[in-house]
Amino acid sequence: MSSTIHKSSSFDSSYDVVVIGAGLGGLGAALNLALSQKSVLLLEQHNLPGGFASSFVRGRFEFEISLHEMCAVGPPEGPLKGPIRYVLHDESSVDVEFVPVPEAYHLILTGEEHKINVKLPFGVENFIDTVCSAVPETPRESLVKYFDLCRECSEALTFVARSKGKIDFKTLMVKYASFLTTSGYSVAEVTNKFRFPRKTLDLLYPYSCYMGLPASRLDFTIWASLLHLYITQGAYIPKGTSHQMCSAIDTRIRELGGQTEYNTKVKKILVEDRKVVGVETDDGEKIKAKYVITNCSPHLVYGKLISPASAVPVEAHKLNNSRRLGVSAFVVYMGLDASPKDLNLESYGYFISPHMDTEKINKSMLQYENMPDLTASICLNNAIPDCSPPGTTILSITTAFGIDVWKNITPETYFATKNKFARQMIEQVSKALDSPISEHIEEIEVATPQTFSRYTGSFKGGVYGYDLDPWDSLVIRSQVKNKEEFFKGLEFAGGFAAMGHGYNSSLLSGRQAARSVLWKMKKEGG
Amino acid sequence: MEVYGRSKDMAQASKMQRERKKRWKNASPVPDVEDPIKELSKGLHLKNFQLIITDIKEVTKTTKTYRLKLAPDSELKRLPLFRAGQYLSVKVNIDGVKVTRPYSISSAPSDVLGDGFYELTIKIKDDGFLSLELFEKWKTGSIISVSGPHGNMYFDDLRDLNEIVGIAGGSGITPFRSIIHEIATQKLDLKLTVLYGSRYEDDIIFAEELSNLAGKLPDKIKVVNICSEPSENWSGPSGFITAELIKKYAGPIEGKTFFICGPQAMYEFLEKEIQSLNIPNRRIRRELYGQPDNITMNPKYLVEFKDKTFNITVRIGNKIETIKASATESVLVSLERAGIVVDSQCRSGECGFCRSLLISGNIFINDEIDGRRAGDKKFGFFHPCSSYPLSDLEIKIPSFKFVKFSPIK
Repeated sequence: MSSTIHKSSSFDSSYDVVVIGAGLGGLGAALNLALSQKSVLLLEQHNLPGGFASSFVRGRFEFEISLHEMCAVGPPEGPLKGPIRYVLHDESSVDVEFVPVPEAYHLILTGEEHKINVKLPFGVENFIDTVCSAVPETPRESLVKYFDLCRECSEALTFVARSKGKIDFKTLMVKYASFLTTSGYSVAEVTNKFRFPRKTLDLLYPYSCYMGLPASRLDFTIWASLLHLYITQGAYIPKGTSHQMCSAIDTRIRELGGQTEYNTKVKKILVEDRKVVGVETDDGEKIKAKYVITNCSPHLVYGKLISPASAVPVEAHKLNNSRRLGVSAFVVYMGLDASPKDLNLESYGYFISPHMDTEKINKSMLQYENMPDLTASICLNNAIPDCSPPGTTILSITTAFGIDVWKNITPETYFATKNKFARQMIEQVSKALDSPISEHIEEIEVATPQTFSRYTGSFKGGVYGYDLDPWDSLVIRSQVKNKEEFFKGLEFAGGFAAMGHGYNSSLLSGRQAARSVLWKMKKEGG
Repeated sequence: MEVYGRSKDMAQASKMQRERKKRWKNASPVPDVEDPIKELSKGLHLKNFQLIITDIKEVTKTTKTYRLKLAPDSELKRLPLFRAGQYLSVKVNIDGVKVTRPYSISSAPSDVLGDGFYELTIKIKDDGFLSLELFEKWKTGSIISVSGPHGNMYFDDLRDLNEIVGIAGGSGITPFRSIIHEIATQKLDLKLTVLYGSRYEDDIIFAEELSNLAGKLPDKIKVVNICSEPSENWSGPSGFITAELIKKYAGPIEGKTFFICGPQAMYEFLEKEIQSLNIPNRRIRRELYGQPDNITMNPKYLVEFKDKTFNITVRIGNKIETIKASATESVLVSLERAGIVVDSQCRSGECGFCRSLLISGNIFINDEIDGRRAGDKKFGFFHPCSSYPLSDLEIKIPSFKFVKFSPIK
């Protein structure tokens, strides 16, 4: 028997907006457009929403693929409530519940120079108290000033983001003077002025690992904002894993009249006269749209998707090549048949390394003889106790590799390399926590840059967007955005967009792209 | 706050903006599209590729081994590698009915590197309409469409102990043949004892081959054949694989990991036996056995539904079609019968490739193989391969047009 269902079209002939990719950026964009009653089609090549914000099941465990913790969520009410809650709950009524993460991070340094085992709490005062008691030589007043500066930068960044390209410099000068004097510097350049002892920096820097750059290269403003938001608002994770959050957004988009289609790969973004006119799927269906928001990297968009390819100006390729691709990740996921207590896992998130020298850590991510120095582990049960059956534990250990490191791995050496790093990482964590992990492994999976490439289609298996050097900072990106639009009607969302990578940035960047499209439609009287 | 002095500080942001422009101006104009990581991925698993049958061997009266190489027009340089124990999802088109079946690879991973082949060993099931078709119609030179390799029943030295006890039934010997060859060629450093259950002596697949390999490496490989209905001449153990037999041939339970692969009936029988051995969960790996032969045998299935048929309204994007579905067949099978293609690989509730949205209606979900994510349960998604209609349904399935199904002629 033969069905005709595969022969007709799945889509309308045209939409107001087509969104390519159902990662957090694409979901955020489609959600806002559906909310604004625009006809929107969200296309995703995988059979699930979320991109990196997803989960997988092995045996009796469901693993978070990439989430450690979300920033900018904050408590449900009050002045610390964050934009993610505003966008998902208040603005869009998405059925997602957030659970607080119990502590900022548990830092264990095992090297001779600075051996330490300390749990850093949320709340600026608590955080400073803990740092000062763990490293008594810390100049308390300076640390208080440092956090003040971070607050100022964070608030200034929000101010700049809200000013939509037309920055009110007068207000900036008056209210955020220190933001202006630190903008454009690296974390190291600004932080060194505070003359903190090395040991104090060790306790302060772990979150910078989430940005994938050493202190000498990471833009200070973004770092200051991240540190401030985490420590004041706390960190949160969605109940039921990121997949549940993304399914909730997908469901809400459909409720609002948007269309979401999976297993549908976009092969081409069709352009005419430097204007977007639609997309073409990999089985040749053409869909018209004047606006396309893409969750893919500019590398992929300008390098592969724009059709005809000759329409891509050389300036676009040059711009891509001038920027630096962020790191990729390596994750060991384990379902353990012992309770967190029996495994000595008392905290939710651990940073473990022989040292906290971010330059050395980054260097260690560029080789593949041994595992990189630093791992970030998450014991999910310590935020959501019933995320796995009683008497079991979900533990993941993550490290990062430079984007090009895994190109040296061949299929022949792949399985052995993967297990070698995984074993070293398990040993590092077991030893640091005195935890009998390897005796209790019921399920184990290891994700490499290749795995991330396979499931998300990300360029070179990268898990982040472009590096946030001071010359490619959020502030600069927001200022130059208009000059870097090579095609009318094309917007970027997700980790490669102006707001940078990470769960909250990606999601909010989608909303920002949608707002930008809506504004342009309005201007055109559409 | 001053970093290097106010005037320098205030100029820093513009300096960085100029820096960005300078880098842009000086960058290479050549599009950077090389993706070595994606290339690596192609050497490990693929959504869809074509193989050609180069050789067929009759292993028993009811079993054949097909040797498969890259199809002549393939873009691939080499077959994707795999770990001994993994399977290929075979995609075939029988008169417009497009179906997928998972078959464990019976050859060794090292054969991919050497002569460049996989082998699939397929046994005719009494009720398996597909295996019968394949058996008759797959010839040397036939082109076969597959995806993979997939699957989680492989030896992982991070988790498993290096003494493995294999329990196999029927065609469930195929992954163990792969593992045994890998041990024999010293690619895997394991001790493996396989207890292999067959019905009759002449059903034993690879009897001679495996006993020869075991004979060469008696410290590493042991294969114990067990027949449930042997002839009078049979001198080996008989009956089903019991806890007693496992202890007798595999020795003490401690220090070993158990791999199980066989038909559904074997799992059901083994469940109690395994329980009595007190093997911790982490020491048992079970291969999936596909859809149950008869869902009405599931104790939770309500038999009053067994003769019912329902309508399923199927949506793919804007497209709608209504099909008939039997309450005793999985939604996936009903879709396939109607000529509607939905992606599927494991057909056992686990891999999630057939994940679809239940818009309305009631389904029975076989909870023994319900591998759904929590979020899918909450928001009405289901796996058609492990779900059965209990009313008329409206469902939305993901589009699936890009995979080739090789016609059986």
